[in-house]
Amino acid sequence: MATQAERLEIARLSHRFGFGPRPGEFATALKLGVSAYRIEATTVPAIDTGLAVITEPMITDLGKRPSPNTPEVIPFAQAMRAQSLQMVLWWLDRMALSNHGLSERMVWFWHGHWATSIDKINYPLPMFTQNKTLRTYALGNFKEMSRAMINDGALQIWLDGGDSTVKAPNENLSRELMELFILGVNRYSEDDVKALAKVLTGYQINNSSGKVTFNLKRHDPSAVTLLGSSAIFSGESVSDYLVARDDCATFIAERLWYRFISSSQPLPTDSTIKKAFTERNIASAVTALANDVAMRDPNNSLVKAPVEWFISACRALQITPSKLDSSNQLISHLQKLVQVPFSPPNVGGWPTDEAWLSSASAQYRIAFAKWLIKQGDLTPITSLSQNARVTKSADWLGVSAWSNRTQGALRNAVGDPEEFVLLALCSPEYVVSA
Amino acid sequence: MDTISRRKFLQLTGGAIAAGAAAPLLTLDQIAEAAINRPLALGTPIVVIVTLYGGNDGLNTVIPYKDPIYYSSRPDISYAENTMLPIGEDLALNPGMTGIKSLWDQKKVAIVRGVGYPKPDHSHFSAMAIWQTGSPVSHLSSGWLGRYIDSQPEDPMLAISLGSVLPPLLAGTKRSGSALPLGGLVVPTGTLAIDCQKLSRVSRDDSKLMAAAATSMRNLFSVSSQVAPILKAPAPVAADLPTVNGGNAGGDSNLSQQLDVVAKLIAAGSPTKVWSVSLGGFDTHANEANAQAELLGVVSKSIYKFMSQLKATNRASDVTMMVYSEFGRRVKGNASQGTDHGTSGPVFLIGDKVKGGFYGDQPSLTKLIDGDLAVTTDFRDIYSTILESILVTPAEKILGNWSGRTNFLLGK
Repeated sequence: MATQAERLEIARLSHRFGFGPRPGEFATALKLGVSAYRIEATTVPAIDTGLAVITEPMITDLGKRPSPNTPEVIPFAQAMRAQSLQMVLWWLDRMALSNHGLSERMVWFWHGHWATSIDKINYPLPMFTQNKTLRTYALGNFKEMSRAMINDGALQIWLDGGDSTVKAPNENLSRELMELFILGVNRYSEDDVKALAKVLTGYQINNSSGKVTFNLKRHDPSAVTLLGSSAIFSGESVSDYLVARDDCATFIAERLWYRFISSSQPLPTDSTIKKAFTERNIASAVTALANDVAMRDPNNSLVKAPVEWFISACRALQITPSKLDSSNQLISHLQKLVQVPFSPPNVGGWPTDEAWLSSASAQYRIAFAKWLIKQGDLTPITSLSQNARVTKSADWLGVSAWSNRTQGALRNAVGDPEEFVLLALCSPEYVVSA
Repeated sequence: MDTISRRKFLQLTGGAIAAGAAAPLLTLDQIAEAAINRPLALGTPIVVIVTLYGGNDGLNTVIPYKDPIYYSSRPDISYAENTMLPIGEDLALNPGMTGIKSLWDQKKVAIVRGVGYPKPDHSHFSAMAIWQTGSPVSHLSSGWLGRYIDSQPEDPMLAISLGSVLPPLLAGTKRSGSALPLGGLVVPTGTLAIDCQKLSRVSRDDSKLMAAAATSMRNLFSVSSQVAPILKAPAPVAADLPTVNGGNAGGDSNLSQQLDVVAKLIAAGSPTKVWSVSLGGFDTHANEANAQAELLGVVSKSIYKFMSQLKATNRASDVTMMVYSEFGRRVKGNASQGTDHGTSGPVFLIGDKVKGGFYGDQPSLTKLIDGDLAVTTDFRDIYSTILESILVTPAEKILGNWSGRTNFLLGK
């Protein structure tokens, strides 16, 4: 029998480093034990057979928007909508069907880090390309990731990179690169923002394809003084320069801590996570995170963001998101909970914890769960005798422990599997990663 | 027409609440109780912010109708001169704005012309974020009135937005305004209700966040049937409008419904100093003239009715409204009888305390910047005056060091 502490740590590994267990997976992990399961959860297999059934959507360059009131504009608008939807469903399917949650989990983390929204980009292709870039480097080297992101069309459009020229440098990308992506707030001066903006002039982006080109005529080639050093930088060399700073290691460790451990407790000053990031290797930092003693501290609970809650329910109920009837209803449920992939609210990314817990979201979560349960596989519950349902359901969902309160509510519903599952999915113990 | 609606913007930005600042959702009994037990002191100033989502065409709102360039720049979407409502200085209001014209004639309307901010952004998303955060330079996740909320003693009733999603305008860094859904919350019924109530009880096993999750569900049920006398009661009657069955006829648009609720709650004494209401649909890239006249008609009628309703209460002179949109539109019409995203636009301030008239310079139609109107007044001038002279709060804490002011209030 696993102890309560072991159950808690395994539940956290399952829900935070992946998207929660499918039926039976939590019990298997308990048998493996914490150490072996931690290694499994943080080691990406060469091939993920769970993803074999997913076909990559055809996301194409849709070209210039035809004039309003022309016959061409209708198919154009339909293609925009269809491709944007397919892209969202494709990603949700990957999260739900992956045999190994960490890769998708890290793409999701980086999407919130380099937060770019399709609502300014409009075209799906640049967003799709960005997702692939995040995927390539999700557990790779942060230095390479940053270089790639400076050349990312969606990020450049999002932060007005195309408007930044030697005559009129735009500081948007410059500021966010230091504040939100690489160094963290207050680790640079306003003069540094201006200097970096000069370095980053000259990019031009095609809106529909997201293709980035560099126009020397629009670029300011002069030397700048940035964070104490004077040099002529290129986009790549300036990225390397920022990433090499000690503040970068502090910042990335802080962000990982914030999303995986606690949004209210600060990163300890002597954190092993930062040390593990010395070579800017993301996988090492994530492994250090999974091994951190804070993973065992019962105070470090986190609210599951709506997409995380939805995907964990899909995995428990064996649901493929793109097969839900209908896709539009799915998006509408996610919109009510204010989280749709590719549409973060602003460049700062998704909010955390209490921000997801309003009475309105409680109401919308109940409606969403009701809708999912009708389309899900309830045999993990219906195959059990009524007496066993309350206890066994914690293992099914990867919940470390039901409180007496929740056990009481569940006991009321053991004769009604749909209501039983609804209560379990909407319980504080499932909405929150304990 | 409506590529970015109010709903969409709120969906996108509704989660944009700084960490730790959960958005409370008010139940009717909370408001009723607060209004009865601790009503706002009579004479306390109240601000009502009206957001027009989509980019309202300022040039077809306050129209330079004597300027031939206006007609030649947009031959398909200019209005006939005899339908416009002249208000002096060679300007006229949109034909749909009869209600606001009447308030203008009563000297209760200040029109600030050419309002915007440096380096205007043409994206709905970014431009609205700039107006709502009050920060053209750096991306803030708090709204300008959210930071006002931060500066005040904690009170979930202090600032209320109509609708289920809180606009970033009212999101603070420590605390946020409250959202009041128009239709109230849909509460589970039957055995599910009993079980959900059981599920949301306090448990000593709960971590802080689990307890918060339980509370959020429990609050769903604290809407009790004996409450809501305030919201169920009829809205105050505007004596100068026709009445049908004891209430005013017409004006059942969404904006009007929102303002009805605001009027009822102001009349009841809700301890609320800031209200936020909104209307979408102003993204008139095509076939603009009729659509905009209709939308501005809704705005104008709703505001006129609201101001009239307030006259039936003892708080009419306490209320000041501000009406704004994220940008104006291009001077030149496009090929679809519409206009593309532009820059500056007029801001309206309306109320008994307002010194009616024009403020700021009308942007010239000959001195365009990349085809757009110049910005002649920074919105922070208006915000500063609202903060200091209405909400009696130092503007510096909220907007930083900003010296401009627009003195649109009487006696100032």
